[in-house]
Amino acid sequence: MAEEEKQFEEFEQIDFLKDRHVRFFHRTLQVLPERYASLETTRLSILFFALSGLDVLDALDVVDSNIMIEWIYSLQVLPTEDKSNLSCCGFRGSSHIGVPYSTKGPGVVHPYDSGHIAMTYTGLCSLLILGDDLSRVNKQGCLAGVRALQLEDGSFYAVPEGSENDIRFIYCAACICYMLDDWSGMDIQKAIEYIRGSLSYDNAFGQGAGRESHGGWTFCAIASLCLMGRLEEALSQRELDRIRRWCIMRQQSGFHGRPNKPVDTCYSFWVGATLELLDVFRYTNFEKNRNFILSTQDRLVGGFAKWPDSHPDPLHAYLGLCGLSLIGEPSLRKVHPALNITQRAFQHLQQLQQTWRESTNSCGGQH
Amino acid sequence: RAEEEAVFSRRNAAVCFCFRDRKEWADLEPVPQDDGPNPVVKIAYSEKFSDVYDYFRALLKKDERSERAFALTAEAIELNAANYTVWHYRRVLLQALSKDLREEMRYITNIIEEQPKNYQVWHHRRMVVEWLGDPSEELEFIAQILSQDAKNYHAWQHRQWVIQEYKLWDKELAFVESLLEDDVRNNSAWNQRHFVISHTTGFSEPAVVERETQYCLNQIRKAPHNESVWNYLKGMLQDRGLSSQPGLLEKVLELKETHCSPYLLAFLFDCYEDALENGVPKDSLDQGCQETLEKALEICKLLAQEKDTIRKEYWQFLGRSLQDRYGGEVSPGDATPTAPASEPQQIS
Repeated sequence: MAEEEKQFEEFEQIDFLKDRHVRFFHRTLQVLPERYASLETTRLSILFFALSGLDVLDALDVVDSNIMIEWIYSLQVLPTEDKSNLSCCGFRGSSHIGVPYSTKGPGVVHPYDSGHIAMTYTGLCSLLILGDDLSRVNKQGCLAGVRALQLEDGSFYAVPEGSENDIRFIYCAACICYMLDDWSGMDIQKAIEYIRGSLSYDNAFGQGAGRESHGGWTFCAIASLCLMGRLEEALSQRELDRIRRWCIMRQQSGFHGRPNKPVDTCYSFWVGATLELLDVFRYTNFEKNRNFILSTQDRLVGGFAKWPDSHPDPLHAYLGLCGLSLIGEPSLRKVHPALNITQRAFQHLQQLQQTWRESTNSCGGQH
Repeated sequence: RAEEEAVFSRRNAAVCFCFRDRKEWADLEPVPQDDGPNPVVKIAYSEKFSDVYDYFRALLKKDERSERAFALTAEAIELNAANYTVWHYRRVLLQALSKDLREEMRYITNIIEEQPKNYQVWHHRRMVVEWLGDPSEELEFIAQILSQDAKNYHAWQHRQWVIQEYKLWDKELAFVESLLEDDVRNNSAWNQRHFVISHTTGFSEPAVVERETQYCLNQIRKAPHNESVWNYLKGMLQDRGLSSQPGLLEKVLELKETHCSPYLLAFLFDCYEDALENGVPKDSLDQGCQETLEKALEICKLLAQEKDTIRKEYWQFLGRSLQDRYGGEVSPGDATPTAPASEPQQIS
């Protein structure tokens, strides 16, 4: 091959294919084939990946916001007339339970209808990304629903019917309370105890006490504490330095989630964002990180996969972009490392919260 | 043409033995999914898939407690084992119909073997084990799953729950050791080692610490490039003061010549930092603060420039921080100059 062509090909190899990713997310928003069936109950979180991904790409203009907003509100579990289902309120992941489509209350009586904490979190994020003012969110319901999910040990279930309980759902709860600007949704002290209890001997966090430390759970721990405003209260300087060390050791080229495991695109965000929250992300190797993420880029269909030469999926596509955003890839919006939405969407949230506080003040107290 | 189409659709209908065609289900009105006028992130289900779930939704709505409902949950699970509502409903039925839980154990065993990274299936197994109050199959079953993927997080989590709940600590250290024989770099196994010891003998006894330290040093000699063993060693000792372990520093300095790694060097750095922090000179660390600082900075330089260059910025940052904290007078032998922080990285 001629010298010039070869150089061009090398350049192409590391080229960030923005348009492909826009199209990847756009397709995700429409129809997915049946082999994605396992995502049915979490479709709202898939919507979040696509919307937030497009937001990071500064390409939300391809989206019909109103349609999306209506669909999201149709997933809200609203209080019934007699409010007997308050502990079930929040957002569903999809219509799989079979409740008839409705964007208005009162809630439908159904023996198995309830929200899912991760869907309430991603639902609220998605509404913010779309510029919604959350005025149709039943905050009392959401907060009651979240409160009902917290256990004695401080961790949370995902659903009121019961499920596994661990640090992931503490993170979801913290995000919900943060966004709604109301921490009555959780017992912060207990949550902090559970988080501290999950700190492993090697100075990072597992899913719960005794469990292996892991990049994803470490993100959940640190981001939760940051959102609560309790990072330095919950962890000493020495502990924080040790956590920084564990996290920064995760970089191999890109990042992996546990020692002696292969690198995976999504950890460029989970670990990268944690390092950013701990103020040491700048000491990582940006070039190697970028090269790895781009090696998992699907040049044909767009998106990113966990590994090179693997199939892309919405989660890795989104987190790959967030990983690139953290290192300052031009043409990508900045991401709020704790809340995991763009700074633009975060500013919208801040403005909303300002409005809420002002109106509470002007009414002289409780709403 | 019309004839061909008629044959085609008859054949299709015969292939899908749908619930809607079954007499025993004629009393139920199927409930389709309703995403409203403009569905988003819609999954395109086949006729068969929709049929099963339309009937699942119908059962759910009436909260029917019956054998046919129980049978249907198995079909729904086969199509989507991640649907937590189906699993919950199945558990409701297991109890309402007093189903054979031993048979359910066999059922969930098969499903986990097919889909070992699914949260719902492990949660379901835990519930059944709890109802039976019988963990006797668990350790062997989990070992089986781990033999396929020795780092499966769900499997390890379930294992820890079983051991802690039913006090099955007895043979676990031996199990961990056999896994470490297979793969000394299995971080999950190292974590389990810590889990077992901290819940049994604990790490307070000097004899335990000595034994574990020896074990670690042996594993390091066999496979020096292994972050897990160094993390374990450090984790065990860090709160007692790394620099206060008699003879350890010497051994590590020896290993540095023949079995070096970024982890060994980082451990050395941490020893020196601990010595500086605690101020008191300890046997062979009976040197001035300046010498210890110099040694630490030397390590930072070695890591940044040669042994762990990917973390160059970080090691230089640590060197600067240490210098700032303990530096005082600048000695001529300073390993790392107190340069300002590096230029922010550009990626293009």
